[in-house]
Amino acid sequence: MTKSFGDLSILKNLSLDVSSKEFVSVLGSSGSGKTTLLRLIAGFDSPDSGEISISGKTVASADVFVAAQARKVGYVPQDAALFPHLNVFENIAFGLKGLSKEAKVSRVRTLLDLVQMSAFESSDSSSLSGGQKHRVALARALAPEPELILLDEPFSALDAELRGRIRDDVREVLDKTGSTTILVTHDQEEALSIADRVALLRDGNFAQIGNPREIYSSPVDLGVATFLGDSVIVAGVIESGKVVTSLGKLTPLNSSAEGSRGKVAIRPENFYLQPDLNGDSTVVGRQFFGHDAVVDVQTPKQLIRARSSGPFAPEIGMKVTVWVRGAVNFYPEK
Amino acid sequence: MALVVSVSAVVLGSIQAWVAVRSNLPGRKIFSVLAALPLAIPSYVAAYAWIAVVPTFSGFFAAWLLLTVGTAPLVYLAVSAALVRFDAGTEEVAQSLGATRFQVFRKVTWPNIRTAAISGGLLSALYVLSDFGAVSIVRYDTFTRAIYNAYRASFDRNQAAALALVLVLVTVLVLYFESKARGQKFAVGKIANRLGRTDLGPWKTPMFLLLVVLAAVSLLIPLGSLTLWSIQGFAGTDWTQVLEALSNSVLLAVSGGLVTSIAAMTIAVVTIRHRFRVASVLERSVWLTHATPGIVVALSLVFFSNQVAPWIYQTTWLLLIAYLALFLPNALAAVSTPIRQSPKALDEVSSSLGLSAMQTLRKVVLPIAGPGIFAATTLVILTVLKELPATLLLRPTGMETLATRLWTETTVAAFSSAAPYALLLVVLAGFPAWLLNRAIRKDLEPMEMERYQ
Repeated sequence: MTKSFGDLSILKNLSLDVSSKEFVSVLGSSGSGKTTLLRLIAGFDSPDSGEISISGKTVASADVFVAAQARKVGYVPQDAALFPHLNVFENIAFGLKGLSKEAKVSRVRTLLDLVQMSAFESSDSSSLSGGQKHRVALARALAPEPELILLDEPFSALDAELRGRIRDDVREVLDKTGSTTILVTHDQEEALSIADRVALLRDGNFAQIGNPREIYSSPVDLGVATFLGDSVIVAGVIESGKVVTSLGKLTPLNSSAEGSRGKVAIRPENFYLQPDLNGDSTVVGRQFFGHDAVVDVQTPKQLIRARSSGPFAPEIGMKVTVWVRGAVNFYPEK
Repeated sequence: MALVVSVSAVVLGSIQAWVAVRSNLPGRKIFSVLAALPLAIPSYVAAYAWIAVVPTFSGFFAAWLLLTVGTAPLVYLAVSAALVRFDAGTEEVAQSLGATRFQVFRKVTWPNIRTAAISGGLLSALYVLSDFGAVSIVRYDTFTRAIYNAYRASFDRNQAAALALVLVLVTVLVLYFESKARGQKFAVGKIANRLGRTDLGPWKTPMFLLLVVLAAVSLLIPLGSLTLWSIQGFAGTDWTQVLEALSNSVLLAVSGGLVTSIAAMTIAVVTIRHRFRVASVLERSVWLTHATPGIVVALSLVFFSNQVAPWIYQTTWLLLIAYLALFLPNALAAVSTPIRQSPKALDEVSSSLGLSAMQTLRKVVLPIAGPGIFAATTLVILTVLKELPATLLLRPTGMETLATRLWTETTVAAFSSAAPYALLLVVLAGFPAWLLNRAIRKDLEPMEMERYQ
């Protein structure tokens, strides 16, 4: 589908298929259109052209528009947006309709239990912590048993430690309920760690869709390679099946014509720094993070950044020989 | 008159604001309450109270004094809000960079409060242009009084209409400058936590005296006079008349206030919840209130009913229409704040949970905005209760309200019989409105930021 605001085109003819019970995260930098995408699916906005269908039923197209309240799409906004005038129980029960009182109570209790918030049933929504609010918001979205759950950067407001824990819990809850989920985020760690598949949104279109490992280890182009984690870009040329670069002869993952020139992207963790008194490279910088360290190395041709296990990272001034482990992605010049 | 009053109001209001927020004057907390309190006394009540003690209190000086102390609070509120937001740390930085006290004021402090001071001054000018009761009671001819007299004396509608037109033009001109002044927004930061207080030194005593005199002129004398005359006239008061005026006032105020609030609420819900670009329209419409003084609205409704709908002339309906026209912009501003407070995300969550727009309005927007809407409605009711010129011109024959009774008794110098009406107006309308206004102002700003960043 396509969507523009005035002259600004946000989504350009993009397409995404999500299977039942699948968890897909849409990863994009701010302004890439990921929230717009979510709002279109939820029904808060309509696409300029194209079609959205949920469980085989078309909800938006040139001549159909199903309003948000009739789409059965659960929505967890960025700031949780709990109803401030209702308590936890009432928030979760908000979307439950046509149930007897007992059925309603039992449904809400089940959900409270699922998100581990049973103790807060009658708490005021404003008294909850950030993580608790998100648990309640998730339970509220799950309550009417929606066909699809949308999560809009749900963890970005939480602090780092809490984020990881809530992320795992949310994934677990969604697995238990067998929900189909789309999450949008700008946090690549979040996107890669939680989802079955990642769709990388760039310039209004998906640059790459695939499982997290695939996306990380085989980026389709240099742009994706540098957007997703650090990469060292080195020029190279294909000679008898190998890429010849200033860092040595490397094995390309993809086959390219003999003699073609291009660039390879190497992940910092794929470098191996061998301490070597006669090495041609020197360690010029080091940032220590505890579990690992980032080391800047001046090679004869260029400065590279390598990741090294924290305690064993070489000292500044040390002579090393740089090796590249495993195969690399080669991107021929156009 | 508008020019002179606005200048003196800016000077007084700014001094009061600075002393309350930034100086170490003893008793500044009390002075800060006293500085805003004159807003609780409708200006025509203050005029009555003064003339009841000093029978010769009339003319330019009297009008200037009344309107200056009556409108200085507008400047005071604007400037003290700007001062509270202004980080005194920047003054200290300027001093550490070698600027003298005076340079600091001129180059750092003043640019930050200038917008507020000028905007407050222009509000004061607008108030003067539209004021009818006070200038009439002290017999100083401004546009509003001239319009009324032209209309009353000869039923000469053309002259009154011409005067009204000129008044509206002048007002629109002032409004234009006011909106321009406000356009240059000063940085609205969060409330600065470090407020350096300046030692007044030798200025302490004169400043203290100035504020005491100001409090006496703006509060002590009017309120004292009201109380004295009320006690004096107590025995001779015709209580059935008072009760009748009271019940008429309450009836008109409640119905006028409700009609206006409901209309405002409908407009606010439709525009805000359905994402029309209304912020500027709303703001503009608020100042439309000032552009059309009560007397002008009343006069145009007289013309309207004579030409188009004679059956409505001198009925309560026409009066309600006048209140609607006069106070809708105010009511709109008051109700849209709470309605805007319920964030759009809640609407979206609600509709994703299967609720229709009407259900969302009922179950989400109104419960959250409820207390705010209630306060706003009460405020409109109290404002209608105090209204004088439109009520005076448009009321059904024989219908008397607190305001019109006060007016009639004062114009014939029957001060003791006017006293109970004046007292009731201050106690029932002025003071509660002042309290409510203060509570609303205090509540809304920090809450909006804290709860829904």
